[in-house]
Order: sequence, then C-alpha cells, then structure tokens
Amino acid sequence: MSIRIENLTYRYKNFTLHIDHLQFEGAKMTSIVGPNGAGKTTFLKCLCAVLPVTKGSLFFRGRDIAAMHADERARLLAFVPQEHSSAFNYTVLDFVLMGRAAYLPIFSMPSANDVAMAREALDFVALGHYADRSYFQLSSGERRLVLIARALAQKSEILILDEPTSFLDPKHETEILELAKKLAGEKQKTVLVTLHNLDMAVKYSDAMVFMKKGEVIASGKPDDILSEALLETIYEIKMSILRHDGRKFIVK
Amino acid sequence: MTEHRRPKLGFLIYLLPLVVFLVSLHFGRVHIPFVDSLKALFSPLFPSLTQGPIADFKIILYGVRIPRLLLGLAVGASLSVSGASLQALFKNPLVNEYILGISSGAAFGASMSLVFLGKNFPPQVSAFIFAIAAMLIVLFIARKSDSPIIALLLTGVIVSAFFSALLSLVEFFASPYALQALFYWLMGNLSTAGWKDLAISLPLIAAGILVLILMRWRMNVLSMSDEEARSLGVNIRKEKRLVILVTAVITASATAVAGIIGWVGLVIPHLVRMMVGVDNRKVIPMSAALGAAFLMLADDMTRSFASFEVPVGIFTSLIGIPFFIVLLKRSTKAWL
Amino acid sequence: MHALLRKIGPFLAFSLVATSLSPSFVPWLGAQDRLVVTDRLSRTVTIPGRVERVLSLQSEITRLIVALGASDKLVGIDYFLRTNDRLFRIIYPEQARLPLASMADYNVNIETLTRLNPDIIFGAPEDRKVCESLQEKIRVPVVALASTGRFDWLLEEIKLLGDVLDRKEKAAELMVYFKQTIGWIQSAALDESPGKKPRVYLAFYGALNRTVVNYEPVNAAGGINLAKDLLPASLGVDKTVVDVEQIIKWNPDIILIHGNYPPRERIVTVENVLRDPRLASVAAVKNKKVHYTFGFWNWWDAGQVLVETLYLAKLFYPEKFAAIKIAREGNKIFKKIYGVDSVYSSLCDLLKCGDWAHD
Repeated sequence: MSIRIENLTYRYKNFTLHIDHLQFEGAKMTSIVGPNGAGKTTFLKCLCAVLPVTKGSLFFRGRDIAAMHADERARLLAFVPQEHSSAFNYTVLDFVLMGRAAYLPIFSMPSANDVAMAREALDFVALGHYADRSYFQLSSGERRLVLIARALAQKSEILILDEPTSFLDPKHETEILELAKKLAGEKQKTVLVTLHNLDMAVKYSDAMVFMKKGEVIASGKPDDILSEALLETIYEIKMSILRHDGRKFIVK
Repeated sequence: MTEHRRPKLGFLIYLLPLVVFLVSLHFGRVHIPFVDSLKALFSPLFPSLTQGPIADFKIILYGVRIPRLLLGLAVGASLSVSGASLQALFKNPLVNEYILGISSGAAFGASMSLVFLGKNFPPQVSAFIFAIAAMLIVLFIARKSDSPIIALLLTGVIVSAFFSALLSLVEFFASPYALQALFYWLMGNLSTAGWKDLAISLPLIAAGILVLILMRWRMNVLSMSDEEARSLGVNIRKEKRLVILVTAVITASATAVAGIIGWVGLVIPHLVRMMVGVDNRKVIPMSAALGAAFLMLADDMTRSFASFEVPVGIFTSLIGIPFFIVLLKRSTKAWL
Repeated sequence: MHALLRKIGPFLAFSLVATSLSPSFVPWLGAQDRLVVTDRLSRTVTIPGRVERVLSLQSEITRLIVALGASDKLVGIDYFLRTNDRLFRIIYPEQARLPLASMADYNVNIETLTRLNPDIIFGAPEDRKVCESLQEKIRVPVVALASTGRFDWLLEEIKLLGDVLDRKEKAAELMVYFKQTIGWIQSAALDESPGKKPRVYLAFYGALNRTVVNYEPVNAAGGINLAKDLLPASLGVDKTVVDVEQIIKWNPDIILIHGNYPPRERIVTVENVLRDPRLASVAAVKNKKVHYTFGFWNWWDAGQVLVETLYLAKLFYPEKFAAIKIAREGNKIFKKIYGVDSVYSSLCDLLKCGDWAHD
C-alpha cells in the first residue's frame, strides 16, 4: 500500500492520461508496460511531480506527493530518467554526489559522510573503481548505472526508473534488472520500472501494470493477469505465451 | 587533463591575486624605489615615516594605485564568478556575464544620467539601476516558461538590443560634450577608480561573491537539466532566481564603476575548468581568484604600455584569447 | 599655332608663377579655374576655384565664413552651432533662418543635403568614411578641415576660404590681424629674460585625465603644454587619455580646466580638482593655480582663440599683463573680426563665467 493514486488526470494537447485508482506495493518491483504513446513516461513524471497534474492526487502513506517541498519529495522518491546529458564533464563520484542534494541546505557542502554514501551507492552498482573517471568516458550502459547510483545516493524509499534498459545489450539489460530486483528485495525499496521487453518484465516483476492510450487496462501479478487476449488488446497484434523452463515467454 | 590530479595548482591559483597585487603596486609612471615603497606602504602605521618624498609616494600608493588595484581585483573576480555561475545555470559554457542585458542596461543608465542629471549625479548609480532593471525585465518576460533556459537567453538578447537602441537614441540627441564621459566609460577602464566608488561597490561585490561561493556545490546540481535538478530535490525557481539576482548585482556593480570589460567572464572560467576540472566547488572560487589576478595584470599592462591610456578591455582580449587557444590545444576535449 | 601660343604663353606663364607661390595649391592648366587641396584626413580633393553655395558641417569653418563677410553663401547650418553654441548666436543671430543640415554626431540626410545644392561641403576630420561617402553620393567635393589646435592650420583655412569665396582682401586682413595679435602677446609674454615658462596640464573633454596634445594658445602665451609629446588618439583628433599618476609625475605648475560650460554643466571643476587627494602633491594644487579656460568648442572661433591666448598670457605672467583688461580687449577683438559689439561680455553673461573670464 505504499503509493496510492486516486483519480489522476493529466491533459496535454490531444493526449489525456486518466487513472481512476491504482496502488503500488512497497518493497516490490512493479513494471509498467504498454505500447509507445501509452503514457508510461508521462505517468512517471506525474508521479514525480515533474509534470503538474490537472486533477487528482498521488498519495504516499497518506501524504500528497505533489504538495511536498522539492527536497522532501526527493528524499522520498528518486527518478532515473531515460535520456540524460550533461553539459559538463563531471567525475563519476561528483555526479553521484549530486544525489545528496535533498539533504543539504542551499549553502552547504557535502560532508565526508555524504561522500561515503555516494561511494557506497557506486559500489552497489559495481562501479566503485570508476569513481575518478569522467562521465563522458563511460559507455551508455555504464552511464545508466551511474544514474542509478545517484538515485540510490538519495536514499529514497521509492525508486522510479524510466526505460532503464533501452538501447542496452542483453548483458547490461540483465544487469540492470537484476539490480532493480535486488533493490526491491534486499533494500526494501518500492521500485517502478517502465519496460518494453515483455519477457524481462514478466521475469523480474512482482507486479505489472498494462497501459494503453493513457489508461490502465490491467494490473496485478504477472501470473494472474497475463493472457493472450490481454496482449492482443494492448498491442493490437497476435502474440503467443509459451512456457519453457518454468518461465513464460511472449512470442510475436 | 581531467585525469591528472593537481592539488598544488589550486593553492597556487588562490595565492595568485595576492602576489599580483603586491607586484602591481610597483607598476606605475612614477618610479618609486623599493625601500621607499615599503616605507610609504607602512606609513599609516608609522606616521614618523611620512617625511619628504615618502609623503608623496604615500599619496600615489594609497590614492592612485591601491584603489585601482582593488577595483581591478573586485571587477575581475565578480565578472569571472558571474560568468562561471551563469555558465553552470544555463548549462552552456559559452554564456557570458552580460547575457541578461546587464551591459546594455548599464550603458543606457549612465547615458541618461549624464544627459539629464549632469555632473551632480554620479552616473554609476543610474548605470546600476538600469542594469538591474534590464535583468528584471528579462526575468519577467521569461517567467512563464517552465523550461526557461532558451527563453532566458533569447529574452536577454532582445532586452540587450532594446537598451542599445535606447542608448543610440540618447546619443543621437545629446550634445557631444555631455557624452564625452560616457564614451570613455563605455570602453571599460579602471583609471577613474576612487575610494568613493569603491566604498559602495566593493562591499556589494564582496557580499555577492560570497553568496555564490557558498552555493558552489549547489551549482553542480543546478547544471543538470531542470527536471533532474527538481527530482534531486532542488527548488529550481527559487535557487535559479537567487543565482541570477546575485550575478546581476555584482556584474552591475562592477560595470557601473569600470564600464564594459569583455572576455573576462567567458575566458577565465574556461581556463579554470581546463586546469582543475568542472566541479564548481573548485571552479567558482578559483574563477574569482584567477579573474582578479588576470584583470590586475591586464591593467598593469594598460598603465605601462604607453603614456596614454588604452582601454583595459583591449588587453583582456589580447591576453585572454591566445592563452585560451593554447590551453584548448592541449586539452583532451574534442569539442569547441 | 605658334601665334596662338605666343599670345597665351605669357598668360600661362604668369598663372603658373602666381599660383605656384602658394604652396598647398597646384593649378590645373587649361581647365576651369580649380584648386586641388589636401585636407586634414590626407585626402586630395579638387574643388572649384569659386563657390557660391557653401555647406559647412564644420563649425569652425562656418564661423570663419561669417567673419569673412560671406555668410550669404551659407546654405545650411550644422547641428552643433544651432543647438550648442551660445557664441555663434550672438555673432550671427541670422543663423536661426538657415536650414539645419545635420543631426547630432554629424549625422546627415543625403536628400536634405542634395536639396540644399551646395558647390562644396566642409566636413569634420573625425570620420573619414562619412566624408568619402558624402562625396560619392552627392557628387560635391567634401573637404575635411580643422585646426586641431594649430594656428597655422587655422590661417590656412582662412586663406582657402578667402580664395574660394571671393573674399581675398578680408581674408588677408584677418590673417594679418590674427598673426599680429598673437605676435604681440607672445613677445610681451617672453620678453626680457625668459625666466621659467609655466608647465601646464590641460584637463579637457569633461574628465581630469583627458587632455589635448596640440594647443597653441598655451605656447603662444608663453607656457608649455605637458601633453605635447604624446600621440593623439587617432588621426584627425587631438585628444588623448593619461592616467592620474602621469599627471602627478609631470607635476604641472598650472592646471587648466575646460571652462566653456555654465556652472551647472561642469563635470570637472576647480573645487574638485583642488580637493582631489591624489593631486595633493602637485604644484598647481598646492599653489592653488587651477583655473578655467575656454578651450575648444567644436574646434575654434578665431575671436575666441585670440581672447583665450591673451587670457592665458595674463594668467601665466600677471605682472607683464597687469594693465590689460580681458573683457575690454575681448570685446575689441570680436568687434574687429565680426563687427559686432560687446560679444565677449555677452558670452560671459550667458555662460555665467564672469567670475573667471573677466577681471
């Protein structure tokens, strides 16, 4: 019952996002899937109060997320964007250190403690030895991991990852999703991910949310809600669900 | 370049303005023997030293050279820190400290004061007021935009052009003799420095630079995209406005007293980044130090070059640009 | 053929000899009566030997034209004389009826100028490009002249104007009067043992540290302009900028402040120079020898510069000029040059500078 969404509406030009009621469970990994233009990223941004909602509220343990101050909200949820660029070539450590901004008043410097937490976050994503490298030197997969490390340094309960596996090769894709799963399991974080790869979503998620054209079509445990009919409704093509090695696979 | 650690370099950079200041005290048309200059320097503490020629040297040191050097220090530091801060804020290393219309506003303010208020009113006040006004107009016009970087930049360009046009209008109708002082001021120079000018501008500049230095780590976060900075917990609206306001105040103070001196706010932060990396915890304070040293050096050249005064902006370009090119060639960056 | 040459020959020879006596002019043979002059921008310009319609955008030239009694040939007046010059309005009140030929900063409208249909245009040497483009567009010779502080150049202007405006006699008279006046002032100042010439710093152009490189009234009055060895800021102007330490180093005996402003408009004043702590060691400040002087007012007025030279001579050598009353002499000079009474007194009243300009 960590995050509760009531009657959320967001309008932008011709697109309307509308969710009557949705819940995300704590300490679980939930993936949000759906075709392009379904509103997944928009939904995440509304969740993070990056976009102002037209109507409705998002509650975390009864508190309205959008009404919080930026620093308070940042201590609560961390957002890892899909696309990222930096004008300046910071070192990896300096980059991750920015995650501590929510805990530092405007005129303060990060303490040794903050630096330690940044290093810890880097270690968790197995990039501790990259601390002094510069950001521009990293591959896109490594940059993704650094962004996640920064989000970890925020020490927030909720972690939101927007398409963290896009443009990554299978190895890195797996790494990131393993990491996300670990965060939900070991670190007890509430993890939300948007994904295109349905197989991976099915494999790693504790819960799934299917979206289409700005609405939630189905949500729940993969085993419970996954069906060929649902897939055809969502993606408008015929797909088959196969079983192999105890896992489900979706074939187009 | 960014791979190498140079801890000693930072120390040297912070020491540089002090060294340049002490050395520059000995530059000037009147030759003062070294021992006499020390006597003259310490004569306020030891009044018995102030005899004969030492008294005259004391006037030169305290009345002419020290205020001029202090002004150079303050102006150099403020323009560099402003440039560095705005570059972080606008996420663009090509931004300079005049981008929000400040120089045009100041020029127009000074011209209005000289034409309508005459000699009784120091043009610096009007220059300062209109510089801030220009910045406020820019902020006001661009306020609605939620992703205002481009909006701010474009609005800055437009407001600058507007005030330049107004300035041309004033120039057009005013008597050439009334505006003599203006043209001279516009070219940028430290020679009109007096303790009176410093009394007001120095504290303002010092306070502003202090605020920006305190925010130096925050600038790293602000140099991320607005969305990211917000999701990292920063109140963007408030903090960006604070940075813009403070940079405007110190740039306007510097410009009101010294005129328009170009290149400093663009070149110095770049040089610093090339030497020590992009972490603003180092870039902001080191830009202040290096900018101060740089402008004092440029002014030394102005004072020694010929018997007539060349605007210091010429020397800031002559030193700054080649230095920049050399460092650029040695850096590992491919861009720019 | 030979017979023709025999008739024309002596005439040609005579013209050659006559015109070659004036060094700056080269005659064209056989063509219309024309003169080739080199102006202050080092441009060589061919002008008609006689002009009837003169457009002077240069205030100094306009004043000379009035002094030469050729004001009927003026087709327009420049912005400065119309709006900023109190002296000219006293000397030539009819200027109000002349069309305005320029705006501030020598800004001109080509159509207006074309309509005025001048035979010649006199411009200022501050902007070469303007002079060249004007000549090209209106197809009228443009001559850029200014005395830039030199008497000989002022006299050359008088001669040239006398020639082309058919006022040769008046020009000669004026030149003689000018040279004589300067002559007697100079010899009165420097007669007997030379003594020490006062070293003078000129604070012109509204700032303490802007000075003028050539200013012959100072020399003629028996003083030394400390900035005389400096280079001017650019061709065609005469001003330059120094730093305060240079003034201290020079240690002038006298500081002269540009005084052609009424009190309200003065930026540099005697009071603030005397009070400037940086100048405390300077002889002029210690001895309270800081004074106003008229200086340029968009170049010179011939009468004004003579009065100024006298005024400076009296300032530098008060005992030698004790009997001279500046106001009286000033009025006499202007009467001689322009034929108008009490010009100097009226000017001092208008500028409210009687406290220093009279005695």
